[in-house]
Amino acid sequence: MSATEEAPALAEGVDTPTPPVKSSTLLSRSLRLWRTRIGLVFVLILVLIAVFGPIIAPHKPADFMGIPNTPPGGGALFGTDYLGQDVWSRFLYGGRSILVMAIVSTAIGVVIGVAIGLVAAYARNALDDILMRLMDVIMAFPQIMLALVAVSLVGPKAWVTIGAIAITTAPRVARVARGAAQPVVERDFIGATEAMGLSRVRILSGEILPNILGPMMVEATLRLTYSIAVIAALAFLGLAPDPNGANWGTMIQQNQGVLATQPWGALLPIIAIAFLTMGTGLIGDGIARTAAGIDRERGDE
Amino acid sequence: MKWFRGGGITGFIIRRLLLGLLVMFLVSVVVFVATQALGDPARAILGRDATPDRLAALRKQLNLDSSVVGQYFHWLGGVLHFDFGSSLAAQEPVGKLLGPRLVNSGILVLCAAVISVPVSIAIGSYAALKREKTFDTVTSNLLLVLASLPEFVVAVLLVILLSTSVFHWLPAISPVPPGHHPWEYPSELVMPVATLVFAVAPYVARIMRASMIEVLESDYVEMARLKGLPERTVLIRHALPNAIGPVFQVIAINLAYLAGGVVVIEYVFNYPGIGSALQDAVLNHDIPVVQALAILIAGVYVLLNLFADVATILVTPRLRTRL
Amino acid sequence: MTGTGDKRWQVVEREDGLWLPLSRRNLLMGAGGVVMASTLAACGGNSPAAPGGTATSGATDAAGKPVRGGNFRLGVTGGGSKDMFDGQNIVTKPDQARLVSAFETLLEFDDDYQLQTTGLAESVEADNPTQYTIRIRKGIEFQNGKTMTADDVIYSLQRIGTQSNGLTGFAATATMDIKNLKKIDDQTVRLPLLSPDSTIPQTLASYTFGMVPKGYSAYKGDVSTQIGTGPYKLKSFTPGQESVSERNPNYWRGDGSPWFDSVTITDFSDSTAQINALKGGQIDAMTDLPAGQVSAVKASGVEALISQTGGWIPICMAIDMPPFNDNRVRQAMRLIVDRNQIMQQIGSGYGQIANDLYAPFDEGYNKDLPQREQDIEQAKSLLKAAGADGLTVDLHTTNGASGMVELASVFANQAKAAGVNITVKNDPNYYGDAYLKLAFSVDFWGTRGYLNQVQQGSLPNSPYNETHWPPKSGTGSNFGDLYQQALRATDSSKRIEIEHEMQKLEYDNGGYIIPYFNSLIDGHSSKVKGLSPSKGTLNLAGFGHGFRTIWFA
Repeated sequence: MSATEEAPALAEGVDTPTPPVKSSTLLSRSLRLWRTRIGLVFVLILVLIAVFGPIIAPHKPADFMGIPNTPPGGGALFGTDYLGQDVWSRFLYGGRSILVMAIVSTAIGVVIGVAIGLVAAYARNALDDILMRLMDVIMAFPQIMLALVAVSLVGPKAWVTIGAIAITTAPRVARVARGAAQPVVERDFIGATEAMGLSRVRILSGEILPNILGPMMVEATLRLTYSIAVIAALAFLGLAPDPNGANWGTMIQQNQGVLATQPWGALLPIIAIAFLTMGTGLIGDGIARTAAGIDRERGDE
Repeated sequence: MKWFRGGGITGFIIRRLLLGLLVMFLVSVVVFVATQALGDPARAILGRDATPDRLAALRKQLNLDSSVVGQYFHWLGGVLHFDFGSSLAAQEPVGKLLGPRLVNSGILVLCAAVISVPVSIAIGSYAALKREKTFDTVTSNLLLVLASLPEFVVAVLLVILLSTSVFHWLPAISPVPPGHHPWEYPSELVMPVATLVFAVAPYVARIMRASMIEVLESDYVEMARLKGLPERTVLIRHALPNAIGPVFQVIAINLAYLAGGVVVIEYVFNYPGIGSALQDAVLNHDIPVVQALAILIAGVYVLLNLFADVATILVTPRLRTRL
Repeated sequence: MTGTGDKRWQVVEREDGLWLPLSRRNLLMGAGGVVMASTLAACGGNSPAAPGGTATSGATDAAGKPVRGGNFRLGVTGGGSKDMFDGQNIVTKPDQARLVSAFETLLEFDDDYQLQTTGLAESVEADNPTQYTIRIRKGIEFQNGKTMTADDVIYSLQRIGTQSNGLTGFAATATMDIKNLKKIDDQTVRLPLLSPDSTIPQTLASYTFGMVPKGYSAYKGDVSTQIGTGPYKLKSFTPGQESVSERNPNYWRGDGSPWFDSVTITDFSDSTAQINALKGGQIDAMTDLPAGQVSAVKASGVEALISQTGGWIPICMAIDMPPFNDNRVRQAMRLIVDRNQIMQQIGSGYGQIANDLYAPFDEGYNKDLPQREQDIEQAKSLLKAAGADGLTVDLHTTNGASGMVELASVFANQAKAAGVNITVKNDPNYYGDAYLKLAFSVDFWGTRGYLNQVQQGSLPNSPYNETHWPPKSGTGSNFGDLYQQALRATDSSKRIEIEHEMQKLEYDNGGYIIPYFNSLIDGHSSKVKGLSPSKGTLNLAGFGHGFRTIWFA
């Protein structure tokens, strides 16, 4: 979780305007970049493993295969883990929970964050300040810390982890959303729609939201990267919902002790998490570069 | 704060200070309320040994009284005097318990900052100058990859590589003995600091690169060049100060993040800092310690952001005029 | 003398008969309820042998002559800021190590879990079933030079026996007439009992019954208050991090021990960090080396000390809570277990298959009851008869002793075969909030004698009764009466008979599932000498008997 806590939050009055770009254009254009393609390939492979892994796994994740920590050989392609379970099968099972939890928590966080950011930007009054100060309060707590406290407090349940990550994701998204929406709100056509008597919800969702989708997509992939890292880190700290669940983070924690003699139990999930976060990182960067490129083109026009 | 403007730089700083105080007050309320839910500390401390007699003895010792609102203001009063009460588990003042750990974690973060900030600014600026050349392509891809790796993965990989499996150069753990300081054990600091540097530097360098590119393409740099100033002067006097503004924000955010994010790194390296103290305190329902750490970490965040805002304004010539 | 570190040791043990008879009662409470055996008293003469001596003779010589010097660094998991220092109380595992480095007991268990008078008392004699006489050794000095007298013994026992002090050993003083302890002379204390209790000598040998000087209180920031008779004196202590103890130069045994100049005990967050530190030479020994990593660490020059203890990790079913208030369900659960597989998976084969009974080293351990084997069909039909087929239940566990979480997970997987759906709940607050109130949970226990264990965990007033045994009515409700009878029984064969009856009740109706007796596996560097396996409850053979019988080569 390389600390990309927020996009540069400029001092007040320094928010740079972001011109609207169609999200589909942005996506297809970003795919012209190699980094986006590579990132997409990484993510796709890992998503495929997460989705279809359990189907092709030769054993159930908790089946007893033989002596714990035996190197590859016999019936176990990558050897057995600390409880004598099949490393390969557990690896194939281990992506689902991380991926599902990361996507769900990020999605909730992004939706809430965008909503708050839009309302704050559109309000242009004290409500804006109140909302943003509340976001500041939440942001004052590092994500992993809040998640750790919440999970220790309530117990390692999936919804607690998801909730903690969603809550800590939302304000970071809200700040970016507000920053992106502010220049849109200032533009004339919003005033025009207001004059037409459109409801606020319609204005926010129908007029402003489409105009900030570009930066929001960048932000969402960024947040997804951190969510994956935080969920894996919690599992690594022994706070996964199911203590013996096949989960990449848990696997690293359980098997890192024998890295010298039977490395696969920890190495496979390390590789998987590394490639997953690298993949989402590359995609996010690709989209961001494309957006920046489009900006520049417009500047040149 | 559109309804409260003016006053130039002083006014700006005062506004930010007041805002910071407001946020800290809200933080204190949130922290206090949230930690009230932590449950019975006496039971958590004794764990399996929580027989009725031992529970009664400990409860008496801990003086767990009841009025929540009263407790809050009493607690807040203490906090304002930097008195966070006594740890329920260790039964000594929180300050005494956390003091050395704060120093330990502070050293980690400081070392990481001192190394990563100049290095990443240098890498980012140079990459911007050599845009789309080999150096830029290699570093930007490498940085992107590093930025995406979770710290615990970096930490575990470093231990495998440098300590236990491939090479045996560095100690695998960093247990600074109490009464000693981390700098007495430089070899033990290398890997935790390196992990933090890997966590921070890539992001700072990437922002520096982006910011530098933007500035290099801007009109006033163009102007400076047209004036026939030497490229060196253009870069150092004109481009760098303007480019570094947004980077302050990122550095501040990253350092604040590290203050809390050291949890995992301290766990891997068995390092006695605030991260491991937090984990321990949460498990023991040690409310005063959790409160103190939460307030401290939040305070660091607010303070660093304040510094960053002010520094950005002061450093960036084109922003000063907008106040 | 270092543990042979492989399973050979255990095989030898099994051939020798794991269940070495515990001779304490014959010795302590012979016909007419008389005397501590004279042999024991003799053995505790001028220079008492190391408790380890008798158990593993033969292994002892190999290590050579002890050498003075060095700072012994021990890494221990399970500690935290709640670490404490008290001669009679512990909360965490590092507390145990610290306690035994500075404080000693009146009697001691040797490595075969036999009582010996190698401790501070020369003899502990039962004058009659309700009165003991404790005679302490002459000339034992506390670490500050003060001579230990009967007053200190009385203070120590009364400190434990005072409920408001909240000490670990309080429950075990239930039968002692703590107020009427009497000093006969400087060396002699009379201990009257409220009711007959033949387990008193065992209780006095428990490590939490350390002898402290009169007026002693727990550590509160001043190390100079922490004065025991033990081999090492506390020099500095930071809860959650580290303690340093210095050699006690006036140590009473006169055999040249202790050997180290100092002992440093460091808290560790997990076993991986411990192993890394041990491999890299940052510590000299570690507690609880994961069984599956024994061969892996040996490859990198670390040695493993493997001790077959009487320790056990039970799955506990509360007999008065659904669905386990139906004995058929309890029996079905006990038939679901594949004990050998559990021992292979969690203990990597290190251990001894158990039979849902505890206290294997007790002479009263009933080994005539048939070994329970996995029988899924029988389990299914029992569940069906009880109307509990397709049972779904939560099994609560926590990262307490090593193996607790793993046992829950492995058992949950085995139960699937019988159509039982078990969800494992790993709750960090388990011991704080829910312990003893759960229908289905995992716990851990160390080595104990049978009656001591019953008193701790299987009576209505036991402090740690997870299974809520015995039943209030019906079969087994006479368990408490049998316990009282056993305490009173002066004839050991009669007592064994009663104990067998008690175990039969627990075997047929109890709430424990005990798959195997685990081995304590600890790691140490090859330069540490003097360690040999122990059946006792503490790691590293009672932490090298208070770090007294180990040294650097």
